[in-house]
Amino acid sequence: MGDSQYSFSLTTFSPSGKLVQIEHALTAVGSGQTSLGIKASNGVVIATEKKLPSILVDESSVHKIQSLTPNIGVVYSGMGPDFRVLVRKSRKQAEQYHRLYKEPIPVTQLVRETAAVMQEFTQSGGVRPFGVSLLVAGYDDKGPQLYQVDPSGSYFSWKASAMGKNVSNAKTFLEKRYVEEMELDDAVHTAILTLKEGFEGQISEKNIEIGIIGEKKEFRQY
Amino acid sequence: MDNANIGIPPKGGFSFDLCRRNDMLSKKGIVPPPSYRKTGTTIVGLIFQNGVILGADTRATAGSIVCDKNCEKIHYMAPNIYCCGAGTAADTEAVTDMVSSQLQLHRYHTGRESRVVTALTLLKSNLFKYQGHVQAALVLGGVDATGPHLHTIYPHGSTDTLPFATMGSGSLAAMAVFESKYREGLTKEEGISLVCEAICSGIFNDLGSGSNVDICVITKGDKEYLRNHQLPNPRTYISSKGYSFPKKTEVLLTKITPLENQVEVIEVGDSMEE
Repeated sequence: MGDSQYSFSLTTFSPSGKLVQIEHALTAVGSGQTSLGIKASNGVVIATEKKLPSILVDESSVHKIQSLTPNIGVVYSGMGPDFRVLVRKSRKQAEQYHRLYKEPIPVTQLVRETAAVMQEFTQSGGVRPFGVSLLVAGYDDKGPQLYQVDPSGSYFSWKASAMGKNVSNAKTFLEKRYVEEMELDDAVHTAILTLKEGFEGQISEKNIEIGIIGEKKEFRQY
Repeated sequence: MDNANIGIPPKGGFSFDLCRRNDMLSKKGIVPPPSYRKTGTTIVGLIFQNGVILGADTRATAGSIVCDKNCEKIHYMAPNIYCCGAGTAADTEAVTDMVSSQLQLHRYHTGRESRVVTALTLLKSNLFKYQGHVQAALVLGGVDATGPHLHTIYPHGSTDTLPFATMGSGSLAAMAVFESKYREGLTKEEGISLVCEAICSGIFNDLGSGSNVDICVITKGDKEYLRNHQLPNPRTYISSKGYSFPKKTEVLLTKITPLENQVEVIEVGDSMEE
């Protein structure tokens, strides 16, 4: 990020009051692989399809769902490398919070700080916005929580949400299937069904990734 | 305003300017250096059959006063690595905290269990950077994928790798016990009792060590933190019921003698002049 005389923000307003770069970033997200999340009464589940460019790729080396702290996990739609950078920054911020306050970072705080980073990149000189939307799933003493963070830096709390290629179909499906006091197992089942809706080809444990958080744990399974 | 300096970012790192001033002041005897809480300590570690056992006493001193009778000197670094600290209490806690944080981030990035040598290198680089001003003498032990490891780290940043180690003011007393009784292939019970003996030797023979014995046993995939494993110096507190004396003083005789008020009036002939 430059301090030189030539670094000015690349994200500027259009005459209609929109930030065109952010619109483009959202388009990049919209052409990424579908991912979704569902908040149950006793946990959260996030899932994504993991379509690899070729059968020769070693799928065990690709991790689209990452954990930020032992009780917070995240999934994305959009550009993988941008996701990696954000995960690294978020992990460091969670660790710094823990060093300072000696308590595990609450989900809202981590989401807020990650969103602040994403916003920074829409206003600083010489950088472009991130081309990812994140779904952050966590369980802290406020209960299970699911947040979506957009390239603009805005974040929303969802009961169930989807993003990526198949977003409209997935959201319609979720709206129909979502029940208020859903249990975690039902939520996992619903998540897989929703993924199957827009899936091209045969769905199997090798081409989807699921992250589940119950009470204070985050573990993944394919 | 010097335009040439605007573009240069501020230099990072520790500024040693005040250390020279402090040295000068203490040499001149003008200002006594502030006293800080030291852990004049006995800390030990040994490698046994299946892993590592760390032990420490629990007394913290500020000068010649015991300021904490039951402090924790065995610090968490990683699920499979613990570190005992001797020296200035604030220094040992801050440096172990910082490296523990760095190890956690490293674990996230690599997806693997932390190694003892990683913790060792992070600690020694940090202590060397501060040229011995961070007064932390540490005994670092843990079990990782390459086996059990035990290291000592000195305040200036040098390290040793040993099968058994002691640090702190009570280190000589504890080392005497180790040197005569340590052998390879100890079982867990033998190891714990040897560590207890060594710490007790430090507790009873060194003024800077005292109170209780803390033990930490680390094996592959498991750790046991035995806080206050032995309490050789039980502290009896004042009973909350208060004191009561069984036999009160008996009253044998009551005699009251009023004192007569004697007021003498002295005539002063001359009034005071001036």
